[in-house]
Amino acid sequence: MKSEILYPGAFPMVRVELAAGENIKAESGAMVACSPTIDIESKMEGGFLGALSRKFLTGEKFFFQTLRASRGPGEALLAPTVPGEIAVLELDGVNEYMVQKDGFLAGADAIVIESQMQSMSRGLLGGEGFFILKISGKGMLVLNSFGAIHKIELKPNQEYIVDNSHLVAWSSTTSYNIEKATSGWVASFTSGEGFVCRFRGPGLVYIQSRNPGSFGAWIRQFIPVSE
Amino acid sequence: MIPNALCFGEEFPASGAPCFVQVGTEGLTIAFEANEDDGVKETTQFSALTVSAGGIDHDHLVVKWNSARSERTLYLRNPDVIQAFREAVPDHLDAPLAQVAERVRQVRHRRRLVWGIVGGAILSTALSLWLGLDILVEVAVSRIPVEWEQKLGESAYRDFLAHQDVVKEGPGVAAVEEMTHRLTEQIQNNPYKFQVTVVKSDVINAFALPGGYVVVFTGLMKKAESGEEVAGVLSHELNHVLQRHGLERIVKSAGLLTVVAIVFGNQQGLIGMMKQLGVELLTLKFGREQETEADLKGLALLQRAKIDPSGMIRFFERLSEKDEGRMEWLSTHPMSAARADRLKTEQAALSKTLPEPFTFDWKQVQASLGSQPVAVP
Ligand SMILES: [Zn+2]
Repeated sequence: MKSEILYPGAFPMVRVELAAGENIKAESGAMVACSPTIDIESKMEGGFLGALSRKFLTGEKFFFQTLRASRGPGEALLAPTVPGEIAVLELDGVNEYMVQKDGFLAGADAIVIESQMQSMSRGLLGGEGFFILKISGKGMLVLNSFGAIHKIELKPNQEYIVDNSHLVAWSSTTSYNIEKATSGWVASFTSGEGFVCRFRGPGLVYIQSRNPGSFGAWIRQFIPVSE
Repeated sequence: MIPNALCFGEEFPASGAPCFVQVGTEGLTIAFEANEDDGVKETTQFSALTVSAGGIDHDHLVVKWNSARSERTLYLRNPDVIQAFREAVPDHLDAPLAQVAERVRQVRHRRRLVWGIVGGAILSTALSLWLGLDILVEVAVSRIPVEWEQKLGESAYRDFLAHQDVVKEGPGVAAVEEMTHRLTEQIQNNPYKFQVTVVKSDVINAFALPGGYVVVFTGLMKKAESGEEVAGVLSHELNHVLQRHGLERIVKSAGLLTVVAIVFGNQQGLIGMMKQLGVELLTLKFGREQETEADLKGLALLQRAKIDPSGMIRFFERLSEKDEGRMEWLSTHPMSAARADRLKTEQAALSKTLPEPFTFDWKQVQASLGSQPVAVP
């Protein structure tokens, strides 16, 4: 399996070359185009209950797609819904990443995707919802972001503060606490940007340069309200 | 062979270097190449190691030591390696290892609990489609401790009063205190310490916050023709508190997952959410059923307190005529003649008791509140 990012920047695509018999998991709707040798199967990751809980509680799409090169080698073009960069990570079997639910674009067949419930306080205050994806295993992992994707490298015990709505993915060797950025709970809840995550290394934290929620709010002001 | 640990240190990438850890009798050996003979191998004595729990869920075993070049930190997840490590290590590491193991158990336990909640959420989605959400809301509300409710109400109450002209003493306050006392005396097993504050404002309104915090505006007192009319509104508001109507609304608007979280026992973090909703407490609108319940229970409470319930009915009747200027109470309490009629029927069914009048003279109380009776905009 080989991958290449085409048109890096705001509107990238990723081209994945599959050898005969190889397959890749992709977020449903990510497939743009593919060779005729490739079959698209929709499959529920983590069994029915897993898929159901993801659907109900994260609002995520019910299925992942599996793109399988069943009739000979071929390639597939994948792209995310939102404008923003793509990053390809190579998992080596020991690295694990927590991925915010909109951050997953695709992954090799041997990577394992679990939805994991966060602690109550992280779920309520963290902004990524109650569920995040925990991705482990071996092989390629493709992340997508809103805006540019930026990697923060943390040495053991090194700290960094990230606004929670800019989080894309982070190593499971990091830890974080949710903190209030502004003083006063009312301010925190009404401004919406009141919470930050204080990360502690070692590990990597991937962040996106734009905040989807704020962008949505900004764009709403231009949409005429129908009565 | 798959690496079984990540090694961090100055000379390694921030994502950690995948490595192979072997537990020997003397110490820990790490190699960075799969083939035994290739590459660098380092062995560190057990005595040089310190251990702790780490990682996003505190379920990694973190082993630290100082190598010749830099401080090394090893993150281990592999159960076989951890097991071997536990068996081989000398006594000085036993206690910290036991702590790590305890921490991992806690994380697993929490995860099981959490999935219990998820299962519960799915189950209760099905149940609520079947039975209606109301039963679940009721169960959830019944599990919220009164102290929480008080904390919630108190913060909203204090925020509100900070910007208001509070009447601290005088005949108006004394009269409201007398009414409150007469009413609350008749409430059995009352878990609330009701606090009623008179606020100087021409707004014709009164409201109650969860936990027993009640505000009566002087506008309402000026509008009322007798103490019994105000007592009627008070009795209605007290019953919103007693029936926990505010909480019901909050839980309903907070959504199913919150309900499930409360029912299944994980109450942590909810205070934060309640606080968020506390902001909206002042504009909380009750449902029609809740209003009816507060009316009927309020009427019964008046009866027990030997306060003439006709006052409440008369006041409601006058409000339903809707020609009264700034009737703020109307915005949260849609009035209808039917509502007053219902109370009349109910009153007729109650046994007749001789009402005991209040000790104050209502005209004098009103006179103490200021001259202008109602500001009509
Ligand atoms: Zn009411």
